[in-house]
Amino acid sequence: METLNRTEAVTLTGLRKTFTTPRTKVEAVCGVDLSIHAGQIVALLGPNGAGKTTTVDMILGLTQPSAGTVEVLGLSPHRAVTSGRVSAVLQTGGLLRDMTVRETVTVIATMHGQAGRVAQVMDRTGLTAIAKRKVGKCSGGEQQRIKFALALLPDPDVLILDEPTAGMDVMARRDFWENMRSEASNGRTIIFATHYLEEAQNFAERTVLMSHGRIVADGATEELRKLISGRTVSATLPTEQAIARAQAFDASVSIAERSGQRISFKCADSDSFAQTLLTDLGAWDLEISAPSLEDAFIQLTEDAQ
Amino acid sequence: MIATYIRVEFARHFRDGYNLVFALLLPAAMYFLFGNIPSYTDAEVGSGNVKFYLMVSMAAYGAAVSTVAIAGTVATETMQGWGRQIALTRMTPASFVASKMIVAATVAAASAALVFSLGAGTGARVTDGWMWVVSYLIILSGAMIFACYGIGVGMLFKSESALGLASGLMVFFAFFGNVFMPLEGGMLDAARFTPMFGYVALARYPMLHEIPAGTDMAPDPLWIPVTSVVAWALIFALFAVFATRKAKARQ
Repeated sequence: METLNRTEAVTLTGLRKTFTTPRTKVEAVCGVDLSIHAGQIVALLGPNGAGKTTTVDMILGLTQPSAGTVEVLGLSPHRAVTSGRVSAVLQTGGLLRDMTVRETVTVIATMHGQAGRVAQVMDRTGLTAIAKRKVGKCSGGEQQRIKFALALLPDPDVLILDEPTAGMDVMARRDFWENMRSEASNGRTIIFATHYLEEAQNFAERTVLMSHGRIVADGATEELRKLISGRTVSATLPTEQAIARAQAFDASVSIAERSGQRISFKCADSDSFAQTLLTDLGAWDLEISAPSLEDAFIQLTEDAQ
Repeated sequence: MIATYIRVEFARHFRDGYNLVFALLLPAAMYFLFGNIPSYTDAEVGSGNVKFYLMVSMAAYGAAVSTVAIAGTVATETMQGWGRQIALTRMTPASFVASKMIVAATVAAASAALVFSLGAGTGARVTDGWMWVVSYLIILSGAMIFACYGIGVGMLFKSESALGLASGLMVFFAFFGNVFMPLEGGMLDAARFTPMFGYVALARYPMLHEIPAGTDMAPDPLWIPVTSVVAWALIFALFAVFATRKAKARQ
């Protein structure tokens, strides 16, 4: 067990969380088993209400599980957090509007016992220029960068980001992930919750898909995309006869969409189908596309219900 | 780590003039208003004059209210998620609350000091110098009870309006705690069970302790205000602990 724990950044076993209010009982997380190796970059992908934030809160010890266990680097969440080995960019709040940027970073740094890292971290996250500005006057992207700086202060082995780019515009998002990429190259374990498929696709090597408090798929991000078999082949065909012949190519071919002579086919063996279209049927403007993660996502979450 | 946090807290409160006005200027203004009515304020009471009596009352009120206001910022900060941010550091919830208490105590000390120096400047007097010191110290330490009250309300309701309600209730407590004007009969009997009664009675005790029992303005025997203060300190402390636990469970 000892050697196993050393390479596991996060281990969740039978994790459950039920919120009870006088009227209702909500199962936010219902039985999650997950282990993440040290150094991995993992996306927790799912729509709002999938249980991502609750799971993250339990990994950080901010919420006590109703059942199951959490281990972070072989420690309890509380010990991992207080020793500064895991830190996080939280989704909800976390900043005081009437503090300046420098005050915020300095205060949290001293709470980590890392007052010496203030200047370095502010430099790296591009906050030095706005150090004297009040947090309430910072844009959404800037506030997110402050939270990111706070998470980097303890120099953590495991970095958890809950919807880190929420409220950012496209440019700010690109900059943020650019910055993240350089932080990730230091061998940090990074776990981020997101509902942007694009972010999982571009940044995570592994994607864990959550829906209704359960993991519905878990694998290499590429694998996940392949979970939906087949490709879409679109082409413009010259005649109705050619279209009929294309449909008869094999049993897997079907028409997904048609506008005039432009047809999108779904098929299993896209290579030979494309070859036939071009050489035998006189088709042009041919395009082959793999299903997006979004398609995979829709199918998988529907299957899980 | 507490020192840095406290320094930043002070910087914040100084930038936010609104809080300072209520904590520092309002009690001073109230003393100035009530303490300078020539018809009665120079009259003798116990070992001093009415001005000293009013000065102690207003200083006690000001210290308690500013303590509630600052301790209550725990509420707004929890609401903004700052508590979660701190939970991700080595700082324990206890030292977070401790630093809030220190800031609250300092502002309460400044508020009461302002009223006392106004009193000294406008003719509040007692026969012995130690009464100034002891009354001041009682006001300061007694105000800390209300920090627990502020934190409790803050944790329980987590909203700005809850804070407003907490401060508003303080005016109510002050009226029915015999702070603003002397109560009599049944009202006074009921007042003995309200949270500010024992506190302000103790603060006035030094100047009133030589009045013989049974005569007008004679203080209650010492055990009554002491019991009241200890009981309310316990109640508010338990309330703060209970509310904090509940807030943590909901987080």
